[in-house]
Amino acid sequence: MKNILFSLALLAATPALAQVPTPAPAQSKPVLLVGGTLHVGNGTVVPDAAVAFDKGRITYAGAQSGFSQDKSTYEVVDVKGQEIYPGLILPNTTLGLTEVEAIRATVDEREVGMLNPNVRALIAYNTDSDIIPTVRTNGVLLAQVTPRGGMLSGQSSIVQLDAWNWQDAVVKTDDGLHLNWPPMVLKLNPTEDATAVEKREKARQQQLRDLEQLLSEASVYRALPAGRRENLRLSALNGLFDGSKTLFIHADYGKEIIEGVRFAKRLGVQKVTVIGARDAWMMLDFLKQNDVAVVLSRIHALPRRSGDDYDLPYKLPSLLQQAGVRFCLDYEGDQETAGSRNLAFIAGTAAGHGLTKEQALTAVTLSPARIMGVDKDYGSLEAGKSATLVVSSGDLLDMRTNNVTHAFIDGRAFNMTNKQTYLNQKFRGKYGMKN
Amino acid sequence: MSIFLRQLGLAGGLLLGSVAAYAQPSTYPRNGVYDQRPGLYAFTHATIFTDYKTRLTDATLVIRDGRVEAVGTGVKIPAGAVVTDLKGHFIYPGFVDLYASYGLPEVKAPERQGRRSGPQFESQKTGAYDWNQAIHPETSAAELFKVNDEQADMYRRLGFGAVLTQQADGIARGTAALVTLNTARKEQEVVLADRAAAAFSFDKGTSPQDYPSSLMGSIALLRQTYLDADWNQRNPTKEQNLSLRAFNQQRQLPQIFDVRDKQSALRADKVGDEFGVQYILKGRGDEYQRLSDIQATKAPLIVSLNFPDAYNVDDVYDASRISLEELKHWEMAPANAAMLAKAGVPFVLSAADLKDKKKFLPNLKKAIQYGLSEEQALRALTATPAELLKQQNQVGSLKAGMVANFLVCSNRLFADDNVLLDNWVQGQRYQLSTVPTDYRGVYTLKIGTQPELKMLVAGKPEAPEMRIVLAPKDTVRGTLSVNGELATIVYNPTPKTKGTAVRLGGFYTPETRLFQGDGQLADASQVKWSAQRQEEATRAARRDSAKAPEPVQLGQLQYPFVAFGRAQVPQQETVVIKNATVWTSDAAGKLENTDVLLQNGKIAKVGKNLAVPKGGRSIDGTGKHLTPGIIDEHSHIAISEGVNEGTQAVTSEVRVSDVVDAEDIDVYRDLAGGVVASQLLHGSANPIGGQSALIKLRWGMTAEQMKIEGAPGFIKFALGENVKQSNWGELNVLRFPQTRMGVEQVFVDAFTRAKEYEQEWKSWNKLSKGKQKKGETPRRDLELEALVEILNQQRFITCHSYVQSEINMLLNTADRMGFKVNTFTHILEGYKVADKMKAHGVNASTFSDWWAYKNEVRDAIPYNAAIMHDAGLNVAINSDDAEMSRRLNQEAAKTVKYGGLSEEEALKLVTINPAKMLHLDKNMGSIKEGKDADVVLWNDHPLSVYAHAERTFVDGRQMFDVESDARMRQEVEKERLRIVQKMLDAKKAGAPTQGATAKANKHFHCDTMGEEKELDN
Repeated sequence: MKNILFSLALLAATPALAQVPTPAPAQSKPVLLVGGTLHVGNGTVVPDAAVAFDKGRITYAGAQSGFSQDKSTYEVVDVKGQEIYPGLILPNTTLGLTEVEAIRATVDEREVGMLNPNVRALIAYNTDSDIIPTVRTNGVLLAQVTPRGGMLSGQSSIVQLDAWNWQDAVVKTDDGLHLNWPPMVLKLNPTEDATAVEKREKARQQQLRDLEQLLSEASVYRALPAGRRENLRLSALNGLFDGSKTLFIHADYGKEIIEGVRFAKRLGVQKVTVIGARDAWMMLDFLKQNDVAVVLSRIHALPRRSGDDYDLPYKLPSLLQQAGVRFCLDYEGDQETAGSRNLAFIAGTAAGHGLTKEQALTAVTLSPARIMGVDKDYGSLEAGKSATLVVSSGDLLDMRTNNVTHAFIDGRAFNMTNKQTYLNQKFRGKYGMKN
Repeated sequence: MSIFLRQLGLAGGLLLGSVAAYAQPSTYPRNGVYDQRPGLYAFTHATIFTDYKTRLTDATLVIRDGRVEAVGTGVKIPAGAVVTDLKGHFIYPGFVDLYASYGLPEVKAPERQGRRSGPQFESQKTGAYDWNQAIHPETSAAELFKVNDEQADMYRRLGFGAVLTQQADGIARGTAALVTLNTARKEQEVVLADRAAAAFSFDKGTSPQDYPSSLMGSIALLRQTYLDADWNQRNPTKEQNLSLRAFNQQRQLPQIFDVRDKQSALRADKVGDEFGVQYILKGRGDEYQRLSDIQATKAPLIVSLNFPDAYNVDDVYDASRISLEELKHWEMAPANAAMLAKAGVPFVLSAADLKDKKKFLPNLKKAIQYGLSEEQALRALTATPAELLKQQNQVGSLKAGMVANFLVCSNRLFADDNVLLDNWVQGQRYQLSTVPTDYRGVYTLKIGTQPELKMLVAGKPEAPEMRIVLAPKDTVRGTLSVNGELATIVYNPTPKTKGTAVRLGGFYTPETRLFQGDGQLADASQVKWSAQRQEEATRAARRDSAKAPEPVQLGQLQYPFVAFGRAQVPQQETVVIKNATVWTSDAAGKLENTDVLLQNGKIAKVGKNLAVPKGGRSIDGTGKHLTPGIIDEHSHIAISEGVNEGTQAVTSEVRVSDVVDAEDIDVYRDLAGGVVASQLLHGSANPIGGQSALIKLRWGMTAEQMKIEGAPGFIKFALGENVKQSNWGELNVLRFPQTRMGVEQVFVDAFTRAKEYEQEWKSWNKLSKGKQKKGETPRRDLELEALVEILNQQRFITCHSYVQSEINMLLNTADRMGFKVNTFTHILEGYKVADKMKAHGVNASTFSDWWAYKNEVRDAIPYNAAIMHDAGLNVAINSDDAEMSRRLNQEAAKTVKYGGLSEEEALKLVTINPAKMLHLDKNMGSIKEGKDADVVLWNDHPLSVYAHAERTFVDGRQMFDVESDARMRQEVEKERLRIVQKMLDAKKAGAPTQGATAKANKHFHCDTMGEEKELDN
């Protein structure tokens, strides 16, 4: 009864027109974009380009002069003067898990307990989120939906942002596990003294022992013959030891990064990536030597120490680039779901602080695709890959010029409206303003 | 000498045995035989400092029954006096500490629970006391005081004879008592003055009451208490308020104010100025960092000798967490007293804040090593504290009639080898130590029939080091321990072999300088032995192992005292920015290839080919863009200790301008983002919040200097989820209002009261003097005064708001109650009621694209700014966030993308438009001749994500530029490294160290409560 009342209330409160747009059907006709500047995603820029795709796959991406097929079989879109980019990829996000941060009922990102390797973000991913359509209209087309909380939060999955349901949305299921490395730097309340530090350090050591035990047992468990007593936690960790799943270690402080990475390698984890890494500048050699990829968390951030260079977070990508560390950019932090539509401008900021524009683009396209293991299909615009791309009338990475005119996910031209464009039209109409 | 000392020691023992002589005041009945003795002593042939600067040689001090009877060179020794010859010794007045809690019960702080438990609005204290539990002037230290042996002993060992003791808890803390550290007498005699001072702070301490939860709330509460006390005095029949009565009764006492840092010292002094009080400020020891401003307060200071320990900087990564100001303060803190003395600031020294009080004397010596003269040090420990308490006839010097508090020293007080022998307190001797007998020298050691050996004794007198010379260049270490006159010697002539030690026992005869006795060798044979001193130790051997301290080298003072502070605030310059693209944010529009002259802090000229005036410089602006400085209409940077006083629904009495933090690094970071001015707003935790501060980002100046001259008053109002506490957890469901219905009633009620209040005062002011004398003066109410200012358009509202219903409500309420809403801030549903807002004439300051973080922003759209703009409203984009504020140009740019504003209009959203809504547009917000020289030179199109501010001018001062930023980065690094090296040396030399602390994040948003970090807005 309670549920029925709740549903009724919800129905009454939600105007029908504010529903998310209908997902686009599969690509039915070959499409050819001509005349735009192609940004491949791997650093290459092709002026006066042509991009052709059919059945969701790119058949040609290069100079228009090199495109020799009969254009009449294509739906030709003239994008002269515009810019063509791979769809942006948003790593490490709670998009689709959290609708309204302050309303508990709409938050599905944090399971109870410290060690939840078996928990999977994908099944809570809500394709009907009002937020998703506002994110993709700024060029973000793929996301790594990631759980939060505890020490081992669970598993993430890669989804595309125009779907009927999570099964429909998924691009890569359960791509990795997320480990929040227990912080070394402990904040003290004003009333606490040095003994509190000791106490917490003890608790931290215990957590690490628990984690070590879990991983050691999991590495043995997987070798047990069939008929073993099923343990969801242990079997969820299998993929770490055969390299089919990445361990994403969330850590910011330099020493935590080293500690976490060494820990994982010691226990036989095959693939390790660090997320957060706000102090990665301290650890460039370590990251490079160990070939650890980094997901840099939102660089629109204040420096962590009062004496840091004011632009340290902004220039961090270029420091990583110069050091030859593999990295990509995310938008984790306050208001991360609604704010993630600014991912392109995160890259823009990096380009304003030492990266070239194409390097910055790579950091939100091909680089995250590689780090998450979906680069066979996504992340750059090359023949054979998925036709997941955006066209902007100006530089996509600059808010001054970012203006997406066309966008395709797997060749599907999805609906570019959203709740906010609807409200804009509605109220401009009220005042008789031009739309 | 040693003989003499032994006698002294003996005399001491006798005295200690006679403690009972003074055990009870004369009013006490006695169990047993009365034992009243005269307590008459004479100390002769001493060097006596009767006060910090008067030195008498070969003088005599006579004391009787705890008081000084006579002191001088020709003093006659009264009959019956116990005479002590102090030839070669020194006598000083006992020290006085003005900041202690000696003998008072510890005040236990309950866990500060705030919004995690239920609220407590009212006082839970029993009795007819103040409404607020942090105001308890009725607390009397003398009533709570109990003599405490352990604490007294600790203080006496530092040289103190008397302390001013207070219960250091709360805002109006009550009276402090001056007590001696005599533990042989009862409280009635030990207390020299029961109401010696009144004590205050800004810290509500253990009060569990919600209000005040912020520093600005504490300041407001204290100010209101002064007014209430005054009102209570004039209308004594209105309330029998014991707290206010006590408050009034202690107005004439010295007023001691405990502050957390130098900025709060200035804040406290400002409160004092308002109410005609000169506080004695007890600071944290960082006063040197703002010396001239501290000096200008004319306040005497209580200076703690609590110097920070060195940090553990072994680990490069961990060391990076220690801030430059912490490093620098470690280096400079010992120089604080010397710098204050040099500046002529009156101060006293205190052992307050020292967790380990044993560090007091070493730290005192350190302060002297860092430039404080011995006379200044002595004065700050004796005469000045006495004078500040107006107790100079009791303590602080040695004159007839004064309390017999004095120190007997083996040498000059601050001499390296001085030993504090005795601390006499109220005529009672407390022996602290004796001069150790000096055994050092070269001895001839005879053991049985063995050949004679040489025994060398060196090291410190109190810790002699002994070696035996077996053969030339072959010496072994041994131990010599002397207890009283009994001696033990152990050494091993063949140290590589175990079980071959020689043990000698015996005694020392000082007259003959001979050790002798019986011993046992390794082969168990018994022997007689002796060691005869042949010669004194050489001068070099005698010198204590402590090396002469190296001369003190200190880094530079900088303003502010944090990274990226400068030795001097940049000067106002005459400068022409040449050939730039100038975005005027004015009717002139965007001007290509244009020059702008800044002179005397103003924009002197805008034009082409401007000549550079003499003494000026030019900056090439070719290919660059010059815009007006960005103005952030909604900021919470640079605020000390709390942005919300959200504990009551109406807190219009609190003022952010009281708590501007001039040292927040976010000020510098904002400058680097082209921001020149900000409205520092109270948070949004209650419907009527506090008053704003409008500041320019004058990095390096004081909080007072940062405030914009002549700026109008503003105040924060708020609506919606924050004020009705929707997201505060299930415990916070008691404070009215909990719904938007209630919010309206808060406003109606507040303004109804404000109108009545205004009327009450109007009527009163109309009365004749005579009638006023007979009548009851109305009570001044700071909360209502601010609301009356709103009604009279002397104060302007910036109202935090989200959904259309509440916006509509406030517009209607304003019309009904007769006030104007100046600005709706956030105003994310402004687009739904833009027409109504236009009709009211309200400004709108919004976010570019925030939404979905709580229920009331589900309908927020990034097109909001454009729709409101197109509807004819004056619109601004604000930050409410210390990170976003440094990218406000980019946030403004989003209105081009969302809603199609022109680029010039977009830039206005962060320049002239906020200037208009803050009533600052006469001088700020656009590039126009005559306006303030607040401009930013960008390397690229100012709305582009790729643009950097290269130079930011505030009042014609180049407050930020990329070259000096690059230079300062290096300087910061160099300075850090220099001090780190020094710390490593200190650690190596045995100095204690502390770990790097993690500073809590102090970036505020609208609904940050207390100092905790909150996420949403």
